[in-house]
Amino acid sequence: MSLCVNRLQEERKQWRKDHPFGFFAKPAKSPNGGLDLMKWSCGIPGKEKTIWEGGLFKLEMIFPEEYPTKPPKCKFVPPLFHPNVYPSGTVCLSILNEDEAWKPAITIKQILLGIQDLLDDPNPDSPAQVEAFNLFKKDRIGYEKRIRYIVRENPAP
Amino acid sequence: MSSDEDFMSDQMMSDDEFDDDSLGELDSEFEDDNDNYLDDVKDEKPQKKAYEVDYRPLSAQTIRDEQAMQVNEISTLFGLSPEQCAILLRHFKWQKERLIERYMDNPDVVLADAGLGSEFSKPPKLEKIRGFMCDICCDDTRALDTYAMKCDHRYCADCYRQYLESKVKDEGEAARVQCPAEGCARIVDSKSIRLLVPAETYARYEELLNRTYVDDKPNLRWCPAPECEYAVDCPVRPNELHRIVPTVACECSHVFCFGCGLSDHQPCPCSLVKKWLKKCEDDSETANWISAHTKECPKCISTIEKNGGCNHMTCRKCKHEFCWVCMGPWNEHGTSWYNCNRYEEKSGSEARDNQAKSRASLERYLHYYNRYANHDHSAKLDKDLYIKTEKKMTMLQSASGMSWIEVQYLAQASSVLQQCRQTLKWTYAFAFYLERNNNTFIFEDNQRDLEMAVETLSELFEKPPEQLRESKKEMMDRTAYVSSRRRILLEDTAQGLRSGRWSFTVDV
Repeated sequence: MSLCVNRLQEERKQWRKDHPFGFFAKPAKSPNGGLDLMKWSCGIPGKEKTIWEGGLFKLEMIFPEEYPTKPPKCKFVPPLFHPNVYPSGTVCLSILNEDEAWKPAITIKQILLGIQDLLDDPNPDSPAQVEAFNLFKKDRIGYEKRIRYIVRENPAP
Repeated sequence: MSSDEDFMSDQMMSDDEFDDDSLGELDSEFEDDNDNYLDDVKDEKPQKKAYEVDYRPLSAQTIRDEQAMQVNEISTLFGLSPEQCAILLRHFKWQKERLIERYMDNPDVVLADAGLGSEFSKPPKLEKIRGFMCDICCDDTRALDTYAMKCDHRYCADCYRQYLESKVKDEGEAARVQCPAEGCARIVDSKSIRLLVPAETYARYEELLNRTYVDDKPNLRWCPAPECEYAVDCPVRPNELHRIVPTVACECSHVFCFGCGLSDHQPCPCSLVKKWLKKCEDDSETANWISAHTKECPKCISTIEKNGGCNHMTCRKCKHEFCWVCMGPWNEHGTSWYNCNRYEEKSGSEARDNQAKSRASLERYLHYYNRYANHDHSAKLDKDLYIKTEKKMTMLQSASGMSWIEVQYLAQASSVLQQCRQTLKWTYAFAFYLERNNNTFIFEDNQRDLEMAVETLSELFEKPPEQLRESKKEMMDRTAYVSSRRRILLEDTAQGLRSGRWSFTVDV
């Protein structure tokens, strides 16, 4: 447990020192007014020169007690229309899967950048929701139109 | 069947099936004789049977030794440390020739691909480094033990150990544990692992490595029996499985199929076994009920249960209207509604024909399934019988003054019985997929003979222990006869498979 908290405090320190442009990540407020290090709220901007440009997508990062041995759970709130995002909002990405590519040295920054990459580069081999996956596979123009609409709904400040 | 016939078994063997042409060449292919197969059958000839394969059970130690031998061989050839060579061999799934070829072409690429840098010689050690902070736990205590492989991704020893332990113990990974750094594909070698983890975890790691060796090699398979630590080495390849049923017996006495790992299913080839088991899972009981309670729509073959009402049926699916009694179209019934007397109508008889066909195929399946299931069930009962037999044996010893060795024939008879039931069971699955032709008759004759022999032997077992003494000779003779019938059947089917004599209704 202390390992988990230590690491998260250090992550917080590192993030405040330096983080990529347009992103935000901060521990949530706990009911008693303090900070809940086990739950972070984050924002991921769409990459420039992609259909996702201009959007900002909110994401919740929930850390298990076994962190960093086990990866945090990343969940878009509200759920995002994307082939690799489950209807619940949970992101399906290899580095977030402890049985796949998760390594304890992966930082919050790396996770957020990884998810940003995933936005415009979906992995058709692991679909997580039917709607976005089918549209992406069958009607690329319709898919892109839908994404632009979502970007307008979630504008970056 | 009279007992005279029984004693003719040897003669029959030599007359009937053993003069097959293909036998000669098969013998030369499989020269090595294997003694430990069917130890319990006495009148074995030292000749290799068509239904037997070469194989060798290997203990965990032998498997380790084999690996070490190959590692050493590569190590002397490449001039690399054994740890490196072990990683290389695992990376190449133990295909030594391919590794040598690739390595000779371009050693650097091979090393990099396997997660080994070019340099890998010094023994690994823990270091204390000033001003170091572990990226995993963010601890920056001064006297922190740290470790890094050649990739120089350095973490504190505790975090490294925890990472390795979770990989080895929780996830069961061994040969492909990577460096904890993001994006670094370097494999953690056994030396580093030994340095970092406790002895117990290391033992688990070695055990897992052992497993990947067996899993990677196509000629090895773990014995599927619970708690058995042996593997079996057998040269039969998956592409030969349509003509050989490679049955092997492990050191632990479990008899199983090397091809699919299921327990002994001679004479039925693996693919048919798979199909049959699947079919049995789908159908059987359901099929039974369907055949008893339903008919099919003559047009769209949907299954229909009539749960009341008149004979004027309208299919829910295709809206076809027909008569439940004669299965003919309803409109031909004219005005004689609700009273079918039109059995001879042509369209009606066609519909009945179709239905009869589908019923017949179902019945055919059930015919074979019932017999299969019956032998399966009997085989289970035979296990109980075996326990009873043991009791009988002790009773016999005390009641009739026979010695331990004199009553062993009962144990032998019982085990032969079980073995034959197992074989018989699978002959029915085999027969289900067999196309009917002249060859089928020989098979069915063999099947019948074995079945009769088995049932007679089984009957002898039911006698009360007092009478067992008198029947000793008869029982021993029957046991020998039953196992010879089994050999004849297996020999014939195995030869047929090899020479492609059988034709099946499905692809094998």
